[in-house]
Amino acid sequence: MRVTPVRIMTTSLLLLGVLAVVCLLSLTTGPAKLRSGAVLAELFGSPGALDAMERTILMRVRLPRVLLGALVGGTLAVGGVVFQALLRNPLAEPFVLGVMGGSAFGAILGILGGWAFFPGVTGVAFAGGILTIALVIGIAGGRTGIHANTLLLSGVIVNAFFSAAIMFLLSVTRNQEIHNVLRWLMGDLSLSTFRELAILAPLVLIGFTLIFASSRSLNLIVMGEETAMHLGVQVERVKKGLLLLVSLVVSAAVALSGIIGFVGLIIPHVLRILVGSDHRLLLPASLLFGAGFLVFCDTVARVATTQTELPVGVITALAGGPFFMYLLRRKRR
Amino acid sequence: MKYPGASAAGTVLLILAVALLTSLVTAGATRALTLTDEAGREVRVPDRSERLVSLAPSITEILFAIGAGPRVVGVTQYSNYPLEAARLPKVGSYVNLSLEKILALRPDLVIGIRDGNPKAVIDRLAELGVPCYIVDPTSLDGVVTTVRNIGRAVGREQAAYQIAGQMASRIRDVERRVAGLARPRVFYQIGVEPIVSAGQGTFPNILIDTAGGKNVAADMAAYPQLNVEQVLVARPEIIIVTSMTREYDFERVRGFWGRWPGLPAVAAARIYVVDSDLMDRPSPRIVEGLETLARLIHPQKFK
Repeated sequence: MRVTPVRIMTTSLLLLGVLAVVCLLSLTTGPAKLRSGAVLAELFGSPGALDAMERTILMRVRLPRVLLGALVGGTLAVGGVVFQALLRNPLAEPFVLGVMGGSAFGAILGILGGWAFFPGVTGVAFAGGILTIALVIGIAGGRTGIHANTLLLSGVIVNAFFSAAIMFLLSVTRNQEIHNVLRWLMGDLSLSTFRELAILAPLVLIGFTLIFASSRSLNLIVMGEETAMHLGVQVERVKKGLLLLVSLVVSAAVALSGIIGFVGLIIPHVLRILVGSDHRLLLPASLLFGAGFLVFCDTVARVATTQTELPVGVITALAGGPFFMYLLRRKRR
Repeated sequence: MKYPGASAAGTVLLILAVALLTSLVTAGATRALTLTDEAGREVRVPDRSERLVSLAPSITEILFAIGAGPRVVGVTQYSNYPLEAARLPKVGSYVNLSLEKILALRPDLVIGIRDGNPKAVIDRLAELGVPCYIVDPTSLDGVVTTVRNIGRAVGREQAAYQIAGQMASRIRDVERRVAGLARPRVFYQIGVEPIVSAGQGTFPNILIDTAGGKNVAADMAAYPQLNVEQVLVARPEIIIVTSMTREYDFERVRGFWGRWPGLPAVAAARIYVVDSDLMDRPSPRIVEGLETLARLIHPQKFK
């Protein structure tokens, strides 16, 4: 099916609707058992149905958590789309170029240093991610431009190096903050506040607008860099620009949420199956679907067991794996 | 008619009355005291807290021991002692707390522990206006102090001081009995496969030392993984296996070490099993753990 502005609009609106429903579902779900009717009343105009503590839970615990989930999910999915296109590798995901290792290492230094989560830990995590990706691009980019395979390989090695460094730190430390490290490594949306959202939201919106503006170039690059060059795309500039842009936004998201796997790898493939691989449609669809998917998984993580909360990364893999296999199977038939 | 003097007196009276009223009102409104917790944070605790949430099994044990049990509305996973505590709502495990579950219980005071509870969750709770008193016991006397401090924070000072006093005198008694004795080498085994022990900074290490033993893992990391060779070289005279390994069957552990009859602990048949909850929880029961170990290490002194 041809991709027209009308189709981009309708698909986006449809997915936006799905995202809104998932967010409302998430806001009314949780161990605190707030009545759905009262939650909706509180949100849409007639406050007073909830008491002070319930309002705190809704507005200052669940709402920022849902919004952070949406922003992070969308960011990871879009990051996956861009990386898979630029590296022309279906296994690429936004963490692959060293962002994971770099920001995890930064976060752990911050946590072991006993700093406050924000801005201390998030700050060093962000710096770690950005520095690492700059290093990786520096290693891979030569006179003849950035080679996808060199880039991937350096990313994988840098991630492995940092994983080892993290294991080393965790084995030798007797620091009491070690439990916080595990929590961050497993991915956690539960502690977000509006302060952090106020930084991430504009970054994601501006970043996405710029990425979306390059969707035609991305379409051409996927067909082959030579072809794209002949058709007037400044391939190297677009590549470098997009890599840095995505890394910037992904590093910011990871700094706030920890390592949430699977979203960035699977959602782009799911959407390619559902809406095709034209980036003008694929990018907004991935943003919205990725957002809804992570919010949904986080909702499940919150209520799956009565004893404790599961790390959201567990749910993304458990829910996403079978869903993806089903789609793959259906596509092949 | 003007009575300037009366008017002045009236003004003074009025000011006094207002001051008195204000002080009464403020006293009523701020019936809370500010304490410095063991992590050095200032905490405003309610004069009489009615809804307590405990963020570690050891804290739950302390709260019930000092008679604040009926006011506890939430605990963490593995809060298995006393039995009433096990039935209370859970707010996650002590290293993986659920912010929403804690808030949903509407606590007026949360008691947490520095070693384990995620700082980020505590910071968020404080930010949302829930007072959190953090304890940080790192020695046996530290546990005694923690009992007293929790007593002060929840308004059970008298009971807490009494229990703390008993704990302290039982600790002193053990110290007296084992003072000056030769210290047998003790190997404390938590894990079976792999072999894990307890080293620096852990309560089992402190207990073995206080009970007059020499922990062979004393200089190792907190929970070091050892190979058999290291244990053989250390030549432990006593092997203590904790009940955390109970699913593995104590007899099999004994059989495992039995393969090395040259080990002093095997030759003397001094391999024992103990309840790990008594050994690694900084709660009043840790004194029982201390006495248990002292009896195993120096039986002649506890006849």
